[in-house]
Amino acid sequence: MRLNIHKFLKLANRKRNNTNKISFIIAVAFFLTVTGCQKLLVESPKSQITPAFFSTPGGILGGIAGIYSDMRNLWGTEGFTNITTAGTDEVLAGGSASGVYWWTYTNIVASDNATTALWNIAYQDINTANGVLQFGATANLPDSTKAQYLAQAKFLRAFYYFYLVQTFGDVPLHTTFITDATTSDSRQPIKDIYAQIITDLTEASKELPAKPTAPFLGKPATQAAALYFLAKVYLTRGWSSADSTGDFAQAAAITSNLISNASAYGLGLWPDFASANAPGNEYGLETIFVIDREADLKYGERTTGSRASGPKENGTNFFFRPNYPTITANYPAAGGAAIMTRDIPNGRPFIRIRPNTPYVLNQAFTDLVNDTRYAKTFQTVWIANTPAVTTPRGSLTVGVDTGLWAAPVEVSAARVSSFKGIIFTPNGTNGANTYTTVMYPSMKKYDDPNRADVNDASTRPFIFARFADVYLIAAEAYFKMGDNTSAAAMLNVVRQRAAFGTTNPGGNAAAVIAQTITPAQVTLDFILDERSRELFGECQRWWDLVRTQSLNERLMQWNPTEAYTHYATSSPANAYSLRPIPQTQINLVTSGPVFPQNPGY
Amino acid sequence: MRIPNSPDISGTLIRVQGLLKLFFLLLLPVFAVIIPSSSLFAQKDIRVSGRIVSETGLPVAKASVTIKGLSTGVTSNDNGDYEITAPSNGTLIFSYVGFTSAQIQIDNRTSIDVSLSSTPNSLSQVIVVGYGSLKRSDVTGAIASVGESTLKEVPTANFVTELKGRLAGVDIVSNNSNPGATGQIRIRGNRSLSPEAVPYNAALSAASNDQLNAPLIVLDGIPYGGSINDINPDDIASLDILKDASATAIYGSRGSGGVILVTTKRGNKSGKSVTSYNGYYGISNVTGEYKVFNGPEYAALKTEAAAGNTINPGMSAYGLTTAEQAGLANGVSTDWQKQIYQQGQVTNQNLSISGGNDRTQYSFGGSFYKEIGVIPGQDFTRYALRVTLDHQINSHLMVGINMMNSLAFTNNGGNPVGGLIRMSPLVSPYNADGTINSLPEAGAIDGATVNPLSIKYNSAAILNNDRRLRTFNSLYGQWNIIAGLKYRLNVGLDYSQDQAGTYMGPNTFYNSSTSLASASESVSNSEAYTYTIENVLTYDKTFAEKNRISFTGLFSVQKDHNQGSGIFGTGIPADYIQNYNLSLAGSVNASTVNTNPWTFAERGLISYMARLNYAYDNRFLFTATVRTDGSSVLSPGNQYFTYPAFAVGWNIANEKFMNNINTVSTLKLRGGWGITSNQGISPYATLGALSTNAYNFGPGTAGQNIGYLVTSLANKNLKWQSTAETDIGLDFGILKNRLTGTFDIYFQNTDNILLQESLPASNGAGSTIVNAGKTKGHGFEISLSSINIQSASGFTWSTDVNFSEDRDEIVQLQNPTLKQDIGNGWFVGQPITVIYDVKKIGIWQQKDQAAAASFGQFPGQIRVQDQNGDGKINASDAVILGNYQPKWIGGMTNRVYYKNFDFSIVMYARMGQMVDVPYLTTDGSAQGFDFFNNSRNNQIKTNYWTTSNPTNGFPRPDASADKFVYSSTLGYQDGSFVKVRSINLGYSLPSKMLNKAGISSLRVYITALNPFMIYAPLVKDGLGLDPEGNGYGGAVASTATAVATAPGRQITVNLNTPPTRQFNIGVNLKF
Repeated sequence: MRLNIHKFLKLANRKRNNTNKISFIIAVAFFLTVTGCQKLLVESPKSQITPAFFSTPGGILGGIAGIYSDMRNLWGTEGFTNITTAGTDEVLAGGSASGVYWWTYTNIVASDNATTALWNIAYQDINTANGVLQFGATANLPDSTKAQYLAQAKFLRAFYYFYLVQTFGDVPLHTTFITDATTSDSRQPIKDIYAQIITDLTEASKELPAKPTAPFLGKPATQAAALYFLAKVYLTRGWSSADSTGDFAQAAAITSNLISNASAYGLGLWPDFASANAPGNEYGLETIFVIDREADLKYGERTTGSRASGPKENGTNFFFRPNYPTITANYPAAGGAAIMTRDIPNGRPFIRIRPNTPYVLNQAFTDLVNDTRYAKTFQTVWIANTPAVTTPRGSLTVGVDTGLWAAPVEVSAARVSSFKGIIFTPNGTNGANTYTTVMYPSMKKYDDPNRADVNDASTRPFIFARFADVYLIAAEAYFKMGDNTSAAAMLNVVRQRAAFGTTNPGGNAAAVIAQTITPAQVTLDFILDERSRELFGECQRWWDLVRTQSLNERLMQWNPTEAYTHYATSSPANAYSLRPIPQTQINLVTSGPVFPQNPGY
Repeated sequence: MRIPNSPDISGTLIRVQGLLKLFFLLLLPVFAVIIPSSSLFAQKDIRVSGRIVSETGLPVAKASVTIKGLSTGVTSNDNGDYEITAPSNGTLIFSYVGFTSAQIQIDNRTSIDVSLSSTPNSLSQVIVVGYGSLKRSDVTGAIASVGESTLKEVPTANFVTELKGRLAGVDIVSNNSNPGATGQIRIRGNRSLSPEAVPYNAALSAASNDQLNAPLIVLDGIPYGGSINDINPDDIASLDILKDASATAIYGSRGSGGVILVTTKRGNKSGKSVTSYNGYYGISNVTGEYKVFNGPEYAALKTEAAAGNTINPGMSAYGLTTAEQAGLANGVSTDWQKQIYQQGQVTNQNLSISGGNDRTQYSFGGSFYKEIGVIPGQDFTRYALRVTLDHQINSHLMVGINMMNSLAFTNNGGNPVGGLIRMSPLVSPYNADGTINSLPEAGAIDGATVNPLSIKYNSAAILNNDRRLRTFNSLYGQWNIIAGLKYRLNVGLDYSQDQAGTYMGPNTFYNSSTSLASASESVSNSEAYTYTIENVLTYDKTFAEKNRISFTGLFSVQKDHNQGSGIFGTGIPADYIQNYNLSLAGSVNASTVNTNPWTFAERGLISYMARLNYAYDNRFLFTATVRTDGSSVLSPGNQYFTYPAFAVGWNIANEKFMNNINTVSTLKLRGGWGITSNQGISPYATLGALSTNAYNFGPGTAGQNIGYLVTSLANKNLKWQSTAETDIGLDFGILKNRLTGTFDIYFQNTDNILLQESLPASNGAGSTIVNAGKTKGHGFEISLSSINIQSASGFTWSTDVNFSEDRDEIVQLQNPTLKQDIGNGWFVGQPITVIYDVKKIGIWQQKDQAAAASFGQFPGQIRVQDQNGDGKINASDAVILGNYQPKWIGGMTNRVYYKNFDFSIVMYARMGQMVDVPYLTTDGSAQGFDFFNNSRNNQIKTNYWTTSNPTNGFPRPDASADKFVYSSTLGYQDGSFVKVRSINLGYSLPSKMLNKAGISSLRVYITALNPFMIYAPLVKDGLGLDPEGNGYGGAVASTATAVATAPGRQITVNLNTPPTRQFNIGVNLKF
């Protein structure tokens, strides 16, 4: 460079003719600029993965992982928990409930974030699954690996279409990878959607391994998971207007297969109902499928600290909590210290969802002696954890005395007056306090005692499907086939397991007998009640009531004020048993026919 | 490089030492006493000569030089030289229209050089037009110019905020209110549709968020990217803003947003060195606090929210806690904002030395700027050093260099404002015994909130800083080949590096966790470099006396490189470690769920340009430009585009028939047409990218996988968008140029707009980038400068006024038949950014209970217009309610000079636009104000509905609602304002007092910055502090249409650092 400048200056000073100088300067200039010019307009990205990667083996595996990861945007989030749980017979809005129109069916807006998220994520993942199927078919992979990858993609595609069709009815059906942008789309009849789901799941159930196999460890899609969904799909289609002869028989046959081959799949029922949702058992005997999570910040995709706010975090450990730290010693009068302090075992109170007490205690969980499931589903006592708290009835010893008691039954006056803590009962008789919108029994299936901070979201995998549901699906299928004997037999398996426990002084044998039902007792309502007892809060209820076409009746009977009043006003009737098509989808279909909204919205 | 042992420079160095001593001495008693020295010289007439130059060092011809108190006077020649006979103790007055006149005492000197500061829109200035300069009278494009003195009237951290409201057609709005904030610049409005820049590279798109419409900044000929804060405003000699396409077309692919040409100060040929010191110190305070409910009002809100509970009437999860009940009884009403806001400080010190002779000119200097914000933990510090050198090697060769180096430290602390608004006023920050009440809201649902005072007492746990090093260098070599023919090589080398870090420890207002295991920390680095090589050939020639031609040819290449990296940690053993040793962190990751700092992007640009200026007889002017740009970011095959432009001018005042019209001194008609474009598309957009995430299949590392999703689709056919613009302008000066002005009217048409199009989700991917759509715009601009009074006694009053309006409109969307695209918020025939929502017509009143019930609503809730009367409210009831485009913007500067005093007042108005105020809305999720109108937390004080207050303003509080229907309609507010930007009062000490100390001029001044607002409905209604806006986003989507009510590009009024009012005291000193 230095040499060049000297030459340059020397040349410049020479009294040569100007033409030479010009040519020299231009030469230098072009030397400086033209070198590298050719490369200047060529792009070579280094920090982003381009779509070409998708066709490599690593890209195909990554596509499958990407879809699973995307499920975290739904299962475990507040909005999605609302649309699976709210507006049913089981629950009422907690004092800080969100998505209020899902609870009341009042002014439901088509632009809701939760339904929009389900729609958008489902189609995004379906397209990626279609990409996996397209590229995977020709990828340079061992045949066994290739088959497993393709089966995963089929499973995942069916999985999302199943939740789309149940939630929205007729929906667009895409089975090829879309790489060109289009702004038109149309809805296909549910019949076609179900047919595609059944094809995919049937194939997946043959191609997937029986048990979780690397790289898909934990509890991802397996043969058993595919069969579980296939059974549920047949059951659901059987109830629907797209039903096909033999749907219920198919559901029954598939569940029988699952039950008889349970050990081959590494599945079964825990002896104790409490084990099914216990922390640490997420990958255990009874779990068929989970939406995985873990403590690792990167692969668990989570944050920690005061306002755990990652969009993909599992917040289910917050939503069912009452506002226990606000109950003070002189309650219901003002004054006195707060009896409880927010801590990790008792959890972070979000007050979003509370049990619908009349239904839960008067209909579902009436037998608190032989059926241990109420006690194993709800936290009803809060042991004092705050020093120096004195109620008008005495001073509470930390770790020993019960500070708060949300009793499931009325308590005697003598007990109330001698109890040092605060008692809440369903009706508040004998001087006890009535449950409120912010203080009620807390659903504890999602408790996570292993968090670093009281405000952290849960790092537990979300248990999506349990083996107990296989029996309940079977029972429902047999019931629809008119085979109440088999239905009762299936229900009895689950019911008798629920008798396990130490709380029934007569011993398990007596409780087992008490829990056993006869075929004559099997009705649709009984099956739905049994599902509540077994699956309370497990993010299925709204779809259960929709599938069994029971939403109207169950709301009328058990949730008349909060939900039924407006549910009943929908035009046409039962319009709210489908969710509204997201407004963004309607807005963005800008070419071709207008994308229709569901009736009633 | 060897420094030549020139006596000139070594002499300067000796003098610098002496001057530095003096400088420090002066710092102490600068305003104390400088003893006036009485004149010892007897009066006699002497010959005084010298040169009059502008602040850019260019000669000022035809300037008038008069002797104070006498009628005699001369004018300067074309080189700015003058010679006059005057009394040896007299005073010379130098004046020329467009420049601030200067008075200098002769004090027996025979040589007096003077530098005049220009006022805007002077018609005789030599102005920079890009790859060269022209006399304003020869200019054919719409170009506005601003001089140093104008910028100094509003002293802030950067020139962008100094320009606010100063130029017609240049709309600058604040987008942040932290120390060191810049602003969003729009020259002649918006052209592009996209709400945000292309999203393929998150880090880049944040930086280039408004690149699609922002102007190109060119510093001393080299395109300047990155932070405007790296330029010390004190180094700027002038700004020239190219507005119309005939002027900006020479920057082709980057010119459609207008071009701001920054010319920095350089040395001069006077043979003497000049040392300047400019400094000020100021204090700042918030202009006000956000108005929130006080203690009793907050209690009343909670009561009303329980009563208004629409699910469980009478119930609330947010009753008063025991502590709040006691607070209410004891009259506690804590003003949390007052607890935190502090007095800010600003100090700015600049020292520069410049000089030179005929062959070598130099300048160098240093500056220190520090601003301490009104929020504890927020500050901005900049150290800058600069050297320029221009050297004539021989009659043919000239070389020069400009090196600008800056080191800037920004501490952002946190933004506590939203949290402060939420705090319960019924609890006290202190316990009864005077200790800190660490959990003031204990017992409430948000009881974990740590006392906001932790920002102060636990400041070691809060870190959010950025250290930025920038070195911007340009060098040139110029060869005068033959008379009129010059070749110039410009090389620009620009490098910047940022090291940023955060630490959020536990037990603070920002992180209420109690365990150090939940502390979070990060370190990130980014670097950017750009090189530019330009070859410019110019040829100037006059033929037959009357024909002047000037030709410019260019070949240039430019390459930009950006790269970023970062590491995040969770958990740390002790607060004081902060982010200094992440190997001690509990866990470390290369990205978080919210942030991926790992970026890499390069772009290249190859350009060819030719321009011809032709002037005939100083009457007829013609300019033709053609430029071809090739860019790497577009698809192969579509990378090149050619931009032509033509302009003509007619200096009517130089026509013979104007000779007798004495009132008109200048009259020029201009017209131009040209095509430009922008580069606002990120690299690799044509290649596409997969989104990444992560998943664990089961526990343990064996099942951990990175995941990929297709979320946006690549477009392999992207090409340039283009803007064609026609401009017609008139420049005039009457009454011997006492009144000068410019009118411009323009029309723009933008085609093939590069935009991010949202797609129906059912097709798998959410968005793609397309060349689609057309917009048009038109507007007009008026600038007037008037010397209202200029008396012999030295009293001068001048006024600059500017006024402009700009209208943009969508002409076509993705295809010609599409008339509206609701999902993207675009409507043919409407402005680019509109508010599309249902229309609030009030609040449902009790008498309307039945009607409300038919809509599923209750009295006290928001009532909206059922546009189609179908008995339900849905997307089909949405209408266009307004837009964010001001009807007009304007500014006015008044200056008064009398004897040694100078006074100026700068005003700024932006009228007729809506703003979105997200904190008056809620969507129960990430946007708006969480739990607004729900009584869970405190909030902005609103006039809400109750049974006894049947207002139509805000709805009834409802403890059951995390969001409420149509809440978005509450956010649309009138954003109009008229504000006073600054008031300055200066006093120049008489030079005869100063001469003894070797000082040539000394001015002391006080400035009030943002002293008050004249008109602002939003402020008057108590709903905000400044309608100008202070951030992006936060807007909720419309309940009915799902369309964001203010797209990401739109500035909104958020709960950020409040605006401040600042008072400075300063000094300008020259040796």
